[in-house]
Amino acid sequence: MDAVSARRRAMKRIRGRTLAWLTKPANIVLLVFAVALTVLTLYPLLSLCAETLTIHPGREARAAQQTAGELSLYHFQRLFATRENDYSRIQFYEPLLNTLLVSVSASLIAIVFGGTVAFLVTRTNLKYVKFVSAVFTFPYIMPSWTLALFWENFFKNVNIGLKTSNGIMAAVFGVYMPEWFVYGAFPIALVLGLHYAPYAYILIGTMLRNMDANLEEAATILRTRRARIIRRITLPVVRPALMSTFLLVFASSMSAYSVPVFLGSPVRYYVLSTKMKSLMDSYPGQAYIIASVMICMGVVILLLNQRVTNSRKNYTTVTGKSSRISKINLGRANYPLAILLVVLLLLVAVTPLLTFAMESIIVKAGDYSPGNMTLDFWIGTNLEARLDQGDSTGILLNPRVWSALGYSLSLAAVSAFVAGTCGILLGYGVAKRRGSRLANLVNSLSFFPYLMPSLAFGAIYLAMSAKLPWLRGFMLLALVGSVKYLPFASRSGLNAMLQLSGEIEEAAIINGVPWWKRMLRVICPIQKTSILSGYLVPMVSCMRELSLFVLLVPTSNTLLTTMLMQYSEKGWAQFGNAINLLIIIVVLLVNFIVNKLTGASIDKGVGG
Amino acid sequence: MKKTLSLVLALALLLCAAPAFADVAADVEAGQSMTHDELVARAQAETGTFVVYGNTSRITTAAEDFGALYDIPFESNNLKDQEIYTKLRSETGSGAADMVMIQDGAQLTDAIDEGLVINFVPAGVKDAVSEAEQQPALVHQYINKLFIYNNLGDAVPAIQNVWELTASEMKGRVIFKNPESEKVNMNFLVMCTKPEWADRLAEAYRAWKGEEIDLGGYQNAGYKWVAEFLANVTFGKSDTSIAEEVSQETAAGTIGLFVLSKLRSSSVLTDNLTVAAYDAAANGYAVEPFAGFMYPMYTMVNVNANRPYTAMLFIEYLMSEDGFKPWGKNIGAYSPNPALAVNEGDLPIDAWKACLVMEDADYILESFDVEDFILRHCQN
Amino acid sequence: MPEIFLKNVAKSFGKVVAVDQLNLQILSNSFITLLGPSGCGKTTILRMIAGLETPTQGQISIGNRVVFDSEQGVNLPPNKREVGFLFQNYALWPHMTVYQNIAFGLENMKWGKDKIHARVKELLEMLRIEQLEQRYPSQLSGGQQQRVAIARTLAPGPKVLFMDEPLSNLDAKLRMEMRTELKRLHRETDSTFVYVTHDQQEAMTLSTMVCVIDKGRLQQYAPPLQMYNNPASVFVADFLGNPAMNFVDGHITGDGVLTFGGIGVRFTPFNAVTLGERDVVVGIRPEYIRIGDGDMEGTVYSTLPSGMETAVKLNVNGVSLTSVVFGDVDFPVDKKVRFSFNKATVLFDRDSGRSLARGALSAL
Repeated sequence: MDAVSARRRAMKRIRGRTLAWLTKPANIVLLVFAVALTVLTLYPLLSLCAETLTIHPGREARAAQQTAGELSLYHFQRLFATRENDYSRIQFYEPLLNTLLVSVSASLIAIVFGGTVAFLVTRTNLKYVKFVSAVFTFPYIMPSWTLALFWENFFKNVNIGLKTSNGIMAAVFGVYMPEWFVYGAFPIALVLGLHYAPYAYILIGTMLRNMDANLEEAATILRTRRARIIRRITLPVVRPALMSTFLLVFASSMSAYSVPVFLGSPVRYYVLSTKMKSLMDSYPGQAYIIASVMICMGVVILLLNQRVTNSRKNYTTVTGKSSRISKINLGRANYPLAILLVVLLLLVAVTPLLTFAMESIIVKAGDYSPGNMTLDFWIGTNLEARLDQGDSTGILLNPRVWSALGYSLSLAAVSAFVAGTCGILLGYGVAKRRGSRLANLVNSLSFFPYLMPSLAFGAIYLAMSAKLPWLRGFMLLALVGSVKYLPFASRSGLNAMLQLSGEIEEAAIINGVPWWKRMLRVICPIQKTSILSGYLVPMVSCMRELSLFVLLVPTSNTLLTTMLMQYSEKGWAQFGNAINLLIIIVVLLVNFIVNKLTGASIDKGVGG
Repeated sequence: MKKTLSLVLALALLLCAAPAFADVAADVEAGQSMTHDELVARAQAETGTFVVYGNTSRITTAAEDFGALYDIPFESNNLKDQEIYTKLRSETGSGAADMVMIQDGAQLTDAIDEGLVINFVPAGVKDAVSEAEQQPALVHQYINKLFIYNNLGDAVPAIQNVWELTASEMKGRVIFKNPESEKVNMNFLVMCTKPEWADRLAEAYRAWKGEEIDLGGYQNAGYKWVAEFLANVTFGKSDTSIAEEVSQETAAGTIGLFVLSKLRSSSVLTDNLTVAAYDAAANGYAVEPFAGFMYPMYTMVNVNANRPYTAMLFIEYLMSEDGFKPWGKNIGAYSPNPALAVNEGDLPIDAWKACLVMEDADYILESFDVEDFILRHCQN
Repeated sequence: MPEIFLKNVAKSFGKVVAVDQLNLQILSNSFITLLGPSGCGKTTILRMIAGLETPTQGQISIGNRVVFDSEQGVNLPPNKREVGFLFQNYALWPHMTVYQNIAFGLENMKWGKDKIHARVKELLEMLRIEQLEQRYPSQLSGGQQQRVAIARTLAPGPKVLFMDEPLSNLDAKLRMEMRTELKRLHRETDSTFVYVTHDQQEAMTLSTMVCVIDKGRLQQYAPPLQMYNNPASVFVADFLGNPAMNFVDGHITGDGVLTFGGIGVRFTPFNAVTLGERDVVVGIRPEYIRIGDGDMEGTVYSTLPSGMETAVKLNVNGVSLTSVVFGDVDFPVDKKVRFSFNKATVLFDRDSGRSLARGALSAL
């Protein structure tokens, strides 16, 4: 009798506790995301692991002399321990070293360049700051191959690479750059570094801007020299931002595909991502191993990053706005420095656009005379007969370009909407239950898609969709886009929520405002800009994404980027350049309109 | 509660269950013996959009003409061979391709073995095309990649023997697409090591140097040529860009190995280019032992086709004179049907077969170690 | 009228026990203060009663309604408890005007537009902020923001009002003003106030009952003056009063002779208690040490005049005693003065710190 009532009481208590737990929206949000993210990120991860152990049909089964579908360590043995023909060295170890070299260098370049500019903008009285900070995010907004293509077109010459034609540098200025400068590790690292420098600029800049000026002032009063202050006080304070930048740039550079293809292939310089791509074609098992290795490297850096940021927590807590920061007077160096920066930015961010415009109107490559110019590739008709190459109309008259543009825009919009909304909810859940195990789990899971190389991510979702016939076309693309860009959105969502004191919501709870109304009427309006920025970054990234979608598009005419890839693979350079320019303009336009209308911006989305 | 649960389960089952598709193999079997009119009737009775994956850009033109002719809604996609194979393996249900036009005989053999695609030979083609070009897969056309050089300057690489490409002065001046990025290129290099071609390469070496070949560590002359050829090669992005680059005024002294049909592009300065095989034919000699290579492009029905009869009708159309037009109007594409004449100035298909390396799927499929060897030499 | 009951309420965050076995009864219409040093758990208690925090165990009822019971699995959400909550940082919604801030909660109660309008006007008037109606919070001063926050909290007419250190962000003058205001509001609104503070003066001046908390445990629950004069422990005694009570280690013999700081006096308890012989802590309020005449002598260590009163620190045989003298009196440092004890002195047990007896000191 007693035992029964005791048990009944215990049951009641547990039920009560569960119900109480479930009445908190944050808990439900976290629970839903924990399940959803496990399915959407852990499942791909596990199936990736399974793929590394499975023999795939076709060439692979034949080479392994095993039946397709069998479990085997063949891929590992082949990729890691095949001495014959230096197979392992060529397919894995050398590309691994190259990847490490390029990614680390790119991270350092991004940090040094982006960090320096961030410092100059936030901590000195540099001129033209407005222009610098407006243009600095351009390279990030543009597709990464843009700069690579530009680099090659600008510096190539008859002494190096294909040895067939001269770029602007050689043709116009007569300067013949050496091969290492134009192709290989150096330009790859540099281009990636420049492309991702906005990360550094945004993350470090935010930290510097919010840093308590008293820290530096205290040192100034103790008569510490400027350089020493920067080295001993400023740098340690921004170290978490440096680490985060390193993580982001490293992970992105590691999985970058088009840049190493453009700048590496001509001199036979390969990295893991290019090897993964070519292996994916014939030996997917080994390609998946490379993807796993890349993910592992990302995880190691993520863990390092967490350790560094955790142990430094005490003095990195940034206390909002404090007293005015004293700015360093650059004195006589101001103008030269400012002009140098402006020229550099123009070169990196604006000239590529001009060259694309130029390349899209000339008929025969390398001939820049007016007679060789035409707007046919933009607005021409009946081109097949006249040019006998590519499409029959210029891209602006080509209905397929317009439908691809529409598709790209709607995909970007839907992905951004889903990722952004999930990011807010996720940020809400994690911020409310900060420190709880569930919140930590969800937070880590939401970062995982970032570490997954896009190509492998796409490949796994393609395999997943094979089992789910309803997951096709737009649905599939939008799902992949949403999951892949969730890390950005959840980051800015979390930042927005953390900046909001809990009392703001509790004041509404007491008044009996239902949860959805609290989100819509109280929380979101207050953090409007950071939340919108959380939508903008996925949107922009999605617009210019290629490798994530390349395997998943129903047709290569589906998206502007896949269309561009098809054109450039066919070698229809003018159409390709025109579409590339179209993409950049659309992305810049979207960014500009959203920014003007709402005040949201890329930098708020990444940095928060 | 229980009701909702069972409803959800039923819905889930519905979503996960593979849609039942008709037995395409049986349809194709039946289609082999149908007349043109029967095929048209069956094709037009099918519903949904007809989806085509093609390895060549001109498939779109062909599909447009076909769609207009029979009033069939279509969607044509120009994809890379590898993407087509990947999609064939993973796409089922609606939206999957009905018909593919694809290259790389080695992979196609695998795809047929896996049951991904089914061969269809239209009744009218059976007598027009040789047996070897009907089985195991119907060849729609051949495409050739030839040695084509820049004819400007003093050091014109007007080769008469492929061993000339291995000379030290040609270092970095030979442009070819990376064999890793397009398998037909890999297939060509693998074929060079097949004993019959290796022997001919050894012979050519003797003719070039006037002495027996010293194999060194190489298994045969084919391996030696491939290694030394690759040592001089610079990899270009695509056949079009290679054609453009080699045709530049500034590109004197360079030679490329690329698709002949690229000469049709307006962006290529055709005047600056000379096709080694044409030059040889005009001057009464042949490039020893080959002037390039040639590979077939096949048409197949997808086993998951939603419109199998439309696929068959399209294949029948492609094999006809009208269907071949998008390719046939330019040089560099050759129908296996001798009735379809080649372009003026181009050589007939048999002449090409004699002087170009052809794919041998069986040899390629068993030569994994050769691919490793080639990869090794694609490295610095 | 709601009466609030807390029965065996406990809350732990992981392994940290924030509130331990708390039993508390809050009478209706009272103004009670939860007083304690920061981190003692007082805010947690408040938030648990309001429903913003879920207790680990125990039972809470408001009025005759059980709002939380870990055994029965009852846990009403905050809005069902019919309470108001005033936050430390006001928590005004920055994107809404003063009017919207106050009206937003009412809209949720499905009130008619006119009724809302009337109610908001009434509150604006009550808190004398009519002229701020269309401003945004960022355009208000701290005191004005506080008034808006109070108006917003009062708007739905809660019968119980919780306040979490609402005045801590204001300067001293404003704080005084708002205290008066709160006391007036308590009378006008006819509701129960539960107030959290770490400021003993606030607790003393505002409340009808004070509840002193330390390390998550209830130390004493009594009306303020009773607590001031008759503290239950050294902790409570020390926490109330400024300057703080003097604590001196001493010894008492069975016959009531108390020695501390080299002084020997007789201790006469007000109530009949047997103390026996033991070590004690002698607690003397500074205002009960009278300088001027008397049997004892000490040296002036320092003088701290604050206008209305002067705190004098005396050194008596190496023991430091603080005395408060009314008015502005300046004693030269190191001057010898005479003093005496009047009124009450409290003896605490040396080991437990619990109060033993209250009594008078007289010369032997």
